[in-house]
Amino acid sequence: MPIKIRQKKKRNQKKSQVEKEIRTFNLPDDEISENLKENIERIRKITGNSSDLIIRPLKGNDIVNMTAVYIDGLVDSPTVNKFVVDSVFQNIDPQPEGKKDKQGLFEKIFAEVVSIGEVKQLSNWKDVFLLLMAGNTLLFIDDVPKVMVIDTRGGKKRNVEEPPTEVSIRGPRDGFTESIQTNISLIRRRIQNPNLWVETMKIGNITQTSVSILYLNGIANEKIVNEVRTRLKKIDVDSILESGYIEQLIEDQTLTTFPTLYHTERPDTVAGNVLEGRIAILVDGTPFVLLAPVVFIQFFQAVEDYYSRFDISTSIRFLRVLTFMISLIAPALYIAVTTFHQEMVPTRLIIALAAQREAVPFPAVVEAMLMEVTFEILREAGIRLPKAIGSTVSIVGALVIGQAAVEAGIVSPAMVIIVSITAIASFSTPSYAIAISARLIRFLFMLSAATFGFYGIALLFIFMLVHLCSLRSFGVPYMSPMAPLSLSNLGDTIVRSPFWAFKQRPHLIGNQNNKRQGENQKPGPPASRSLKTKK
Amino acid sequence: MEKAKIDAIQLFILIFLFELGSALLVPLAIEAEEDAWLAIFFGLAVGILIFLIFHALYQTYPDSLPTQYMRNIIGNYLGWVLGFAYCLYFLYLSARVLRDFGSMLLTIAYHETPLFIVNLLLILLIIYTVYQGIEVMARTGELLFVILYVLAISGFILIVSSGLIDLSNLKPVLEDGIVPILNVAITQTIFVPFGEAIVFSVILPYLNNPKKAKKVGILALCLSGINLMIVMAVNIAVLGVNLTKRSQFPLLTTIQSIQIADFLERLDVFFMLALIIGIFIKITIFFYAAVIGLGDLFKVTNVKQLIYPLGLVVLLLSNSIASNITEHIQEGLVIIPFILHFPFQILFPLFLLLIVYLKKRKKNKA
Repeated sequence: MPIKIRQKKKRNQKKSQVEKEIRTFNLPDDEISENLKENIERIRKITGNSSDLIIRPLKGNDIVNMTAVYIDGLVDSPTVNKFVVDSVFQNIDPQPEGKKDKQGLFEKIFAEVVSIGEVKQLSNWKDVFLLLMAGNTLLFIDDVPKVMVIDTRGGKKRNVEEPPTEVSIRGPRDGFTESIQTNISLIRRRIQNPNLWVETMKIGNITQTSVSILYLNGIANEKIVNEVRTRLKKIDVDSILESGYIEQLIEDQTLTTFPTLYHTERPDTVAGNVLEGRIAILVDGTPFVLLAPVVFIQFFQAVEDYYSRFDISTSIRFLRVLTFMISLIAPALYIAVTTFHQEMVPTRLIIALAAQREAVPFPAVVEAMLMEVTFEILREAGIRLPKAIGSTVSIVGALVIGQAAVEAGIVSPAMVIIVSITAIASFSTPSYAIAISARLIRFLFMLSAATFGFYGIALLFIFMLVHLCSLRSFGVPYMSPMAPLSLSNLGDTIVRSPFWAFKQRPHLIGNQNNKRQGENQKPGPPASRSLKTKK
Repeated sequence: MEKAKIDAIQLFILIFLFELGSALLVPLAIEAEEDAWLAIFFGLAVGILIFLIFHALYQTYPDSLPTQYMRNIIGNYLGWVLGFAYCLYFLYLSARVLRDFGSMLLTIAYHETPLFIVNLLLILLIIYTVYQGIEVMARTGELLFVILYVLAISGFILIVSSGLIDLSNLKPVLEDGIVPILNVAITQTIFVPFGEAIVFSVILPYLNNPKKAKKVGILALCLSGINLMIVMAVNIAVLGVNLTKRSQFPLLTTIQSIQIADFLERLDVFFMLALIIGIFIKITIFFYAAVIGLGDLFKVTNVKQLIYPLGLVVLLLSNSIASNITEHIQEGLVIIPFILHFPFQILFPLFLLLIVYLKKRKKNKA
């Protein structure tokens, strides 16, 4: 029996191999021909003679035929003109004495003529097309069975601008762009250390997108780096168009609303996290960089917290956790109180609430659902609408979930207040990823409050805690350093201890080289002012 | 047995929350009147001795579950039967506590809701939690511990600042001598909540540092005992013996008497949260112990398969163990301590320990 099973497995493997070859548009991997014409024909055929394919014959003298091939728009045109075409023209011996030594001519051009950093010789078609599509220029010479690949990648890129989704009052103003090279350089400029290691791989069978992992060697946990690497290598999909694809393909637990990878547009956030031992995953074509592993509390920390003083940052972090709780359970509490637990509200307040609700024709839960859904619609419309119409929406919206709704007797004024505070609270969370999961869970809380009052809310809350505790991000417990407790790392959770007390990096994340500063970093007045007498 | 480890802090917190569990909410040892806190103290002292008994067994077999070492000690068949009896005991206790919880909730807030529904919701949450394993239970415990302590401290401050505490309510101390106190301790507080810690003989093998077990266990029992003493003393100081005795949930009555600035009043939510957190942890641990024990006895490869059916058993049992709350409480106070708690918490462990000791001596002689 076992033999049969193995055979079946083998057949399945073979089948999936064949299937993969079809899926990935197998490119030729045989030797490059000597015949220039034949080579050019082959390129034309495989690229479908696309109109942006530039084939430029270069005739140095009467005997030698050369051809440069590149894709318009992907190459940096001045570079191609100056360093490839021009220099080949200028440097070729007009005398036909190198008649027979075309191989030598190829070597000469390779070594002396093309004055560009990265030049390769290939004798096999294997990678040629991928390199061509990445923006390299190919140079063929007649009778030489080789191709010279010259790095001329370039073309139009967006400038480095302030990231629109993560604004900060204090801090650097640069943000990532769509170009992976620019993004890596933005991080390297902040961490000028050779131990900042970058590994690049191509993911996406059709798109061949560059994906890089970037980490500090000696600080990042080797096991986690390996885990990230294996998970990335395991990806076998046709396309990667944004880092969100990667995020969904490598996360630990898919059945959750909570994000287990952090995404950011800010190079300083990435630099700070890499210094703590995290691993950054950069994807070509998107300004959003992924960070792993992350813990829950990180989503309540903005990079600005580290730039302002610790007392301010700590209070603001407390505020953020509070607002997160408000955005989760404020409507649910309102429902529970007005439906089940009227006795728990001070008498005068409940009388006021009851008077307001007297004219409202719906039970509290319908009222709340109505308003929350209306608000979610407004928010979604606000994102999608063109800027010119945006202001219309805000005016209409203010009418819908405001005075008009109250006057029409559909909702009570208290409900409008609850919905507004919930909405504002959910915007004050620094991470969009966690705010959006709170939006979703809020409706669950409202339903449980409507059916079981405080008991429902408490049960759902404990359920949420159990779920959060069960999550892991690349093996690191999601609720650390609170659960499991790590006392030395508690200084950077809801509180942000002063910098001189930041002695250790997160234990579970980078488990080697944990110390991050020298002793006695606490500043003080000059010694002459001190009351201590020097011995 | 799961492949998981918990650390000393997590064990401490689990024991602590487990002990507080339901004991925090009921009129514990109120038969001792003003000296209820002393009766708790005696219960604690004996409870630590019980802990030392099963800790000694744990030290002899640090890597195996009770169901495993029982078979080693008293032979395969007898040990299996005893282990099975223990699992049933834990299962029964989880159903008992669940029933306690359901009736409490019905009494304080949900008069119209069927008991079955209230219990169903909690057991669903517990099934989910046990499904996630001991590590997740321990981590959740750490977070709940913080919440419970924040509630406790703020509640205590509110009670003190509303000037409710009247220490003369706690006098006289030892009015009728020490006999009634010992009587209450022997019939009640030794077994519930302190003796119930026997369930941790199933959790102890998960500890990553076996040397710390003793210290952690005793500290957790002491801290929870002290907390229970404080709570009971505060209840009596606020309400007086008479009212405390008659109240079904003295802590709730105490919390309800808080009144500050015409705004902070009727803080029943505090009580309800403490109730849910404490009971949740308590049932989860009993249920987990039963699941793991049965999984070992019946050599189930994937213990998770047992959780749903056993959860259903607990749910149905919680509904059918008593026909009404009076019967339920009477059973808990009069019958269960003698026919279940005494043998399972004291007699059997002592017996096992004695055999281990005799075996060791024989070995040393030979």
